[in-house]
Amino acid sequence: MAELQGYPPHETWHDVTSLDAKAWPHRVENRHTLVPTTCFNCEAACGLVCHVNHATGRIDRVEGNPLHPASRGRNCAKGPATLNQIDDHERILFPLRRVGERGAGQWERVSWDEALSDIGGRIRAAIAEDRHDEVMYHVGRPGEDGYAERVLQCWGVDGHNSHTNICSSNARIGYQSWMGHDRPSSDFANAEVIFLISSHLESGHYFNPHAQRIIEAQGKGATVICVDPRLSNTGAKADHWLPAWPGTEPFLLLAIARLLLLNGTWEQDFVRRWCNWEVYLQQRHPDRPLVFDSVGPALVDDYAAYTPEEAERLCGVAASQITEIAGVIGAHPTKFASHNWRAAGAGNRGGWQTARCLFFLNVLTGSVGTVGGTTGNGWNKYKAPHPAGAPPAEQWNELSWPQEYPLAYHEMSILLPHFLAEGRGRLEVYFSRVYNPVWTNPDGFSWLEALTDPEAVACHVALTPTWSETAVFADYVLPMGVGAERHDVASFETHAGRWIGFRQPVLRRYAEIRGEEVGPASRTHEFNPGEVWEENEFWIELSWRIDPDGSLGIRRWFESPARPGTPMSVDEYYGTMFAGVPGLAADAEAAGQTPLEFMRDRGAYALEGDMYLPYERQVEVAELEDCDIDDSGVFRRSGTPGRWSGSPDDLAGLHLPGLGDGSPAVQVDGTAREGFPTPSRKLELYSETLADWGWPEYATPTWIPSHVHWEDLDLAGNERILLPTFRIPTLIHTRSANSKWLSELSHRHPLWIHPSDAEALGIEVGGLVRITTRIGHFVIGAWRTEGIRPGVVAASHHMGRWRLDAQSGGSWAGGDADISNDGTVWRLRRKGRPERHASADDDTERIWWSDTGVHQNLTFCVQPDPVSGMQCWHQRVRVAPAEPGDNYGDVVVDTAEARAAYREWLAMTRPAPGPGGLRRPLWYARPLKPAPTAYAL
Amino acid sequence: MTRLGFLLDSESCIGCHACTVACKSEHDIPLGVNRTWVKYIETGSFPDVSRHFSVMRCNHCDDAPCIAICPTNALFRAPNGVVDFGDENCIGCKGCMNACPYDAIYINPATDTANKCNFCNHRIEQGLEPSCVVVCPTHAIKVVDLDDPDDETTKLIARSETAVRAPEQMTLPKVHYRGADPASLDPLRTAIADDGMIWADTTAQHPTPDAGSPGVMARTTYTTAHQMTWKAKVSSYLVTKAVAAGMMAVAALLVLLGHGAEQAVVGVVPAVVAGVFLALTAVLLVWDLRRPERFYYLITRANPQSWLVKGAVVLGAFAAVCAAWFIAGVVGSIGALQGLAAPAALLAAATAGYTAFLFGQCEGRDLWQSHLVLPTLLAQAATAGGAGYAVLGLVADVPGSGAVQWVLLGGVLATAVLVAAELVMPKTPHVSAALAAMVRGRYARRFWAGGVVLGLAVPTVLAAVGLGAEVGSWPGAAAGICAVIGMWFYEDSFVRAGQSVPLS
Repeated sequence: MAELQGYPPHETWHDVTSLDAKAWPHRVENRHTLVPTTCFNCEAACGLVCHVNHATGRIDRVEGNPLHPASRGRNCAKGPATLNQIDDHERILFPLRRVGERGAGQWERVSWDEALSDIGGRIRAAIAEDRHDEVMYHVGRPGEDGYAERVLQCWGVDGHNSHTNICSSNARIGYQSWMGHDRPSSDFANAEVIFLISSHLESGHYFNPHAQRIIEAQGKGATVICVDPRLSNTGAKADHWLPAWPGTEPFLLLAIARLLLLNGTWEQDFVRRWCNWEVYLQQRHPDRPLVFDSVGPALVDDYAAYTPEEAERLCGVAASQITEIAGVIGAHPTKFASHNWRAAGAGNRGGWQTARCLFFLNVLTGSVGTVGGTTGNGWNKYKAPHPAGAPPAEQWNELSWPQEYPLAYHEMSILLPHFLAEGRGRLEVYFSRVYNPVWTNPDGFSWLEALTDPEAVACHVALTPTWSETAVFADYVLPMGVGAERHDVASFETHAGRWIGFRQPVLRRYAEIRGEEVGPASRTHEFNPGEVWEENEFWIELSWRIDPDGSLGIRRWFESPARPGTPMSVDEYYGTMFAGVPGLAADAEAAGQTPLEFMRDRGAYALEGDMYLPYERQVEVAELEDCDIDDSGVFRRSGTPGRWSGSPDDLAGLHLPGLGDGSPAVQVDGTAREGFPTPSRKLELYSETLADWGWPEYATPTWIPSHVHWEDLDLAGNERILLPTFRIPTLIHTRSANSKWLSELSHRHPLWIHPSDAEALGIEVGGLVRITTRIGHFVIGAWRTEGIRPGVVAASHHMGRWRLDAQSGGSWAGGDADISNDGTVWRLRRKGRPERHASADDDTERIWWSDTGVHQNLTFCVQPDPVSGMQCWHQRVRVAPAEPGDNYGDVVVDTAEARAAYREWLAMTRPAPGPGGLRRPLWYARPLKPAPTAYAL
Repeated sequence: MTRLGFLLDSESCIGCHACTVACKSEHDIPLGVNRTWVKYIETGSFPDVSRHFSVMRCNHCDDAPCIAICPTNALFRAPNGVVDFGDENCIGCKGCMNACPYDAIYINPATDTANKCNFCNHRIEQGLEPSCVVVCPTHAIKVVDLDDPDDETTKLIARSETAVRAPEQMTLPKVHYRGADPASLDPLRTAIADDGMIWADTTAQHPTPDAGSPGVMARTTYTTAHQMTWKAKVSSYLVTKAVAAGMMAVAALLVLLGHGAEQAVVGVVPAVVAGVFLALTAVLLVWDLRRPERFYYLITRANPQSWLVKGAVVLGAFAAVCAAWFIAGVVGSIGALQGLAAPAALLAAATAGYTAFLFGQCEGRDLWQSHLVLPTLLAQAATAGGAGYAVLGLVADVPGSGAVQWVLLGGVLATAVLVAAELVMPKTPHVSAALAAMVRGRYARRFWAGGVVLGLAVPTVLAAVGLGAEVGSWPGAAAGICAVIGMWFYEDSFVRAGQSVPLS
């Protein structure tokens, strides 16, 4: 048999003849154009190829993009399900404006022009009246690198608000406190030991690309270790599943670290060369000789309490297994790849030490930036250069960056409703962009209260492809494209390599290929279904409306260089970007194309070379010309935070790099090397920043008892730990409910409970359970499973979607519900389940499931980690059989309790100012860094 | 030659369901049905617990029972060894769904035709891999050419490092599993617990043994639903043709006993009754088709191997004999009736009994494959014939009354013995599970109250009482009526129980 291919050859993609699957065995030929784009579901940004049918002009099928270096033509279920999202019969096709009360579900269709004029006028007024902080862009998963940030910077507003602190703040600060980079990039494919505090075989950053490489390595003999209190699919595939008590993971890791030290299986020379051990000894062991030989014994002393036996008692993982794993790790120096992004990191107060302690194992095994190790994301991610934009704004938005959280990673978005309620500010225009805080964030009823208060939020604009629980409380619902309907450029650290991926409106590209005029005056909504647009053209147009005459100095950044006086086209924008990507222009030329055409035809580009051991790169003397070398051997460059005097008066004029303090190198054994983007240019075993900003006790890798630590719980009674956020492979937050295929696969999420707990708590098989949190309760069905630690209960994320009216979509996954309140006590009650009904999609007649899950997040108070600001998702709950009158899916919450809980957590903080009277360390990352003077408090 | 199969590598499979969705997209598959899906099972107890994934789909069997049973060649063997299908031939008889021992075939609600994995043969034709192979993140699905000795997978299979589903069905499946937990490939070893599956609803159509059944050693936490296909219409058809066959068989017996001169009750009435019940049989059969307007494809696109086709021929021939009998009866030709008696008896037996061979082609329904099905069908025909004449006796003089009464009683008693034998004979776990559903499970009331009490016990007593009375007596007629109604309940429990055993 001739070798089968996955895809037609790339050179045929503009006209591929395929055989009709339904007509087969008759040979009925269809002709398609294959247009690459990027998936817009999870963060992995896998490559897709859309098959556009020449006869119908419609997208028939969505497959993977074999030219994509990360996904390599393969996808998870969500990739091909993009087709459902495109064809969703309930999607929002036209711009809508609210009529009647917010949330009343009445809308009128408006033109893009009307919407732009109104919103642009409001923003213009806010800027002109120096109410810059009243403009806020709140982004869910961005799916692009830097575009919106540039827009906001050009507007001169510090208005970027992200979802990071419900997602990854803890992991980020854990990694960043070691190596400056705030994400791990794990070379799973070449690893010999893979240590996951994550569920990368079913979710996470970056599910499909990572799963490919983890399984590949396992097939070659790598040992896979997975820490998770419940049996994830990843845990099931792992060679070792360690169901540690939630929040004890750092303890487990430090016990392993101690064994590596005791066994002598640590890479001493690597630690000597690349850790800031001198600072560690000076700060922690001033009485020991300041020589490297002191480090091992000092660390063993520091971690003396972390014995396997104590770890067994505290973590619930057998001492023998811990010893065995330490042996395996120690036997594979430099080939230890690890990852934590959410999971234990996102669940626990102090969870940021999970990543810090995990990466400690990378440091001890010398597996940093090595083949088969873990490196910093910045080295395996390539940010293509955007066209020039305005200098950083002089603003500091306290609604996002409050003084209480100087080290927050990043914006304190979960606290926004409380800040608004406290009168810390108001919002003239609030953009929720593919973001659903009412459903997704903790304490959603506080969000609902804020969003329905016109004094707090004057105009809420929901930029979204789908209806959501948040969009129904908007003033404008503006339809934005899904993966095949929008432009974005993104790059992620999926493996040892760098690439960029291009998302594009497929039918726009198809028109171009068919020879239709797609000029600078064309707009993507002319090609997409209905008037579905894309944000990037929207931002250009909106910026134009904000500053129509250019008097605010904004318009110029959005003006076409080739056609002055007219807005920049997306072709110009991305043409400029791609022209700046190393190697791309040459490869495009070799293909006889412009860089933009090249990317439109391929959808992704791999940059040449690998980035192993980047920190070892020798830095030439010429690169260090304007630098001084300090006592620790770091080359400090004038005009950067690394050389800042510490006086607020000297802030003006500093250049703040995106990463690090601007110091270009460090002396190691007499050679100037690139090092890490930390203040010491080394891996920081001791973080002076954490110490200087109020947390000296956490400056070295440490276990911080969690807010759900089991020893503090009334386990003999009915207190348990709830894991409410785990993901499953088929869904992605609230983005995927518009896929019928994904909803069919997964539509219920019962409460995982160990049979022994169910028996002890009197919960029947499949019985209703009332879960009581700090601020309320919800009612869910029990699911007995051996795949969870007794003492812990869990229910996955994604499900429990609700809709207040049938018009707002949700046929596949939305349960009809009523929301009512009595003062601050809010109640959500289900009144319906998905029913078979007639619609434009015949499949609505075939809905066979009736469950849609139970919403949980409304009942969680904000629990921001006092250091990172991360919402600590795990919940300390009481688990009991449902009470009389409880219905499946009931949610009851008292927002007064939510406010009280907010204050309790706020009281744990250690507010700014830090050294130099600053709001935040200058070297710390921030999605949108303002001018340095804005840092002074 | 090329002989395509799949290697499904459970060692690499991460249970992501991408194959399921890619397949739905490639073939535009409606909700509720699947050509491929991922089964999850969970084994062990905390903390030594695990979850195993195995991909389920058509096995492209070298000896494919679906092709054999398909009456209209809708299912066929492609030159590359794949079991392919063409919608335009399918009449929606659902025979293939009962023939398949793997739950691989479904009725597409959009076309009312039987569909299944066809290996994406429209892609293979163009040198492209099936869509599930392309999408799989971990390369857990591989195409293998089993005729290529150099193929790495072929070598794996040769070294017996792989397993297949239901090898005992001798269908020679070409889908091989590597690293699959044995329990995940045996649908009787894992059950859906009462609190359901991990993230999808469980419906009555989700195949599972009872959680406490013998042999169940693990929990199914994800699988898909499979509809039961042959229900009341099929149970009814078994009874209507038993009546037709039985009447003619008894009439033939009466002719052979020398009662050919009884023009009405031997020469005319049985042929009329048989004709009416044969017509009912045909109506039921066509009505049960998902594409009834295509019923004539049974002849025009016939697969002579299929017992659905052979059965149609038998029914047609029997109808012809009945017609001839009727004519002979009307004209009062005793000689003609005597000449027709043997063919009529033989075709009556064939009409009653051919379903045993049809059931025999249903490789997925081991209960139906019992050797006792044929004698049971014949005994039921005797019962029905005796019953028909017993009722006829109420309004007309039936000659050879003793014979008729003995036929009825004999049929009932023979059926009773055969049913009892079925229950006590040694059996496979599959048949045990089916019998458990029939005797103790969901169909127990149908079986005991309907099939046994109403269909066997009551008629036995009444018929025994009737032996002492004249033909045409009420006890005998009542015995017949009870026996026929009870027969329906028995058949219905048998037909449904046969399909109740999970295959995936």
